[in-house]
Amino acid sequence: MAELTPKERVMRMFNKEPVDTMPFFSGMGMVLMPAITQLGYQFAKVHTNAEMMAKAAVTTSEMFGFDSVVVPFDMTVESQAVGNEISLYEDSMDILYPTIPEKIWQTMDDVEFPDNIAEMGRVPMVCEAIRKAKELAPDRAIGSWVLGPFTMAGQLLELDLLLKGVFKQKKKVEEVLDKITDMLIKVSGAYKAAGADYMTLREMATGTDLISPKTWKEMIKPRVMRILESWESPKVLHICGATDLIIPMMNDCGADALSVDIKNNLTETREKVGDDVLVLGNFDVFALPCKEETTVEEAVAGIKTNIDGKVDAVWPGCDLWPDIKEDNMRAIVETVREYGKPASPAVGRL
Amino acid sequence: MASKEEFQEQMKNGVVEYEEDTVREAAQGWLDGGYDPLEGIMDGLAAGMEIVGELYDKNEYFVPEVLMCADALYAGLAILRPHVPKKEDGINAQVVIGSIQGDVHDIGKNLVKMMFDVAGWDVHDLGRDVPLEKFVEEQLRTDSEVVAMSAMMTTTMLGMKKVIKMIKEKNPNVAIMLGGAPVTKDVANLFGADGYAESAGNAVSEGIKMIARLREMRNK
Repeated sequence: MAELTPKERVMRMFNKEPVDTMPFFSGMGMVLMPAITQLGYQFAKVHTNAEMMAKAAVTTSEMFGFDSVVVPFDMTVESQAVGNEISLYEDSMDILYPTIPEKIWQTMDDVEFPDNIAEMGRVPMVCEAIRKAKELAPDRAIGSWVLGPFTMAGQLLELDLLLKGVFKQKKKVEEVLDKITDMLIKVSGAYKAAGADYMTLREMATGTDLISPKTWKEMIKPRVMRILESWESPKVLHICGATDLIIPMMNDCGADALSVDIKNNLTETREKVGDDVLVLGNFDVFALPCKEETTVEEAVAGIKTNIDGKVDAVWPGCDLWPDIKEDNMRAIVETVREYGKPASPAVGRL
Repeated sequence: MASKEEFQEQMKNGVVEYEEDTVREAAQGWLDGGYDPLEGIMDGLAAGMEIVGELYDKNEYFVPEVLMCADALYAGLAILRPHVPKKEDGINAQVVIGSIQGDVHDIGKNLVKMMFDVAGWDVHDLGRDVPLEKFVEEQLRTDSEVVAMSAMMTTTMLGMKKVIKMIKEKNPNVAIMLGGAPVTKDVANLFGADGYAESAGNAVSEGIKMIARLREMRNK
């Protein structure tokens, strides 16, 4: 039996066709410092240059044997496109992702997006990075992502305005979320048109450690469905934090696969959604690949537990932290390939 | 005019039901009745917040509700706190608080700050996106007993370890509280912190437990 290319492995998995072994990939940021260092780049520089972004993502994937290449890396693309300044932390000794320190919009009434948002700010640059990544790594699956509307709102406005508004100004909050949803459909459409093989919708800040299942159902779900509906397959829905109470609703949104983090009880999730649904997750991005004290053996054991939780692909519960321990990262990928040889619930083996 | 117990109940329930006006009126009534403002804060407002924490733990309340309860609590606090004689709390403690550099979210940080405000601490709020060394400088400047830091992402959490090391090297007696979604008990132990809260709502329940302990001590 011939080995599949990383891209074939991922795309077949999304189609629930048999694969040679379990995929290791992500739909969220997966750029690592060893690759950035090898390229002679600085972390703060890879977010604003298409070539550097693509090369950093591709080199990371090749160095560690990941099945995917994912761009962009940071969450400020759209917010910057509407006029907010970003902090790149170019003088910091630490690895810090770009942020929006001050937002130009002070109230929900200020929210208004230009029609040509997909041509503004760094959106075209991310499209260019997707195209370059495809050229550089034609045998790897190219993933891209956008935040969900509620999470994106936190990049555009003070999040407590929306959180309190959920009760006090429900209609206003819904209007804002609708506008953001329209904007995200345009931006993600541009990423898809640039050649992304699969898309992930990261509605991270809507777990039940933040909002209630009722609010999720009434305010989040309709917009998540609308964005997913606008995408061709394959498409993934990811939510961070507590998702046990909302996983059945997540499964009802039209995604091809569900992604969760370490707070999710995978066994319960599998029972709730059944064996036919693709579940991706959920290893601890700090404890296994980064934590100074974690041995290779402990990282391997952690990944085996992850696979025993009946996932269809091992993928991180969040962005991979760039400063990983290389030995742990390599052992994690090797373990997925070896320990993931038997069929997973939704995906058979060749 | 309502009785002392009625005002106290109105403040407590007003916080739980996030009714700012009710809390404001009850707090004013409490003052006008000549009752002890600190007692009103602790047995009215803080007691209400204690119930809010329980509702959060039971998945009945979520962060939006908690934020509105916090607004109601602050409405009462604004009326009562100025009338508490300095140092009557017997606490006279200080805390340095902020969200760490790279993190521009501060909901959890603000909820923890509220708990210190209620308890009558002097709060030195550094805001958000705070450079690591600023925590150390502010602690040294103010000689605060507690430093509380929050990070919402793994990507910023690691900076906390450096801050703790820098502070503990200079002053091993400072208590460090960590908070934020990626912070687990394991991480807090590993980084050498003295306490932790894993989410904004959880920060409330942790803070409430602290206030509940203060209330117990006061009532003894």
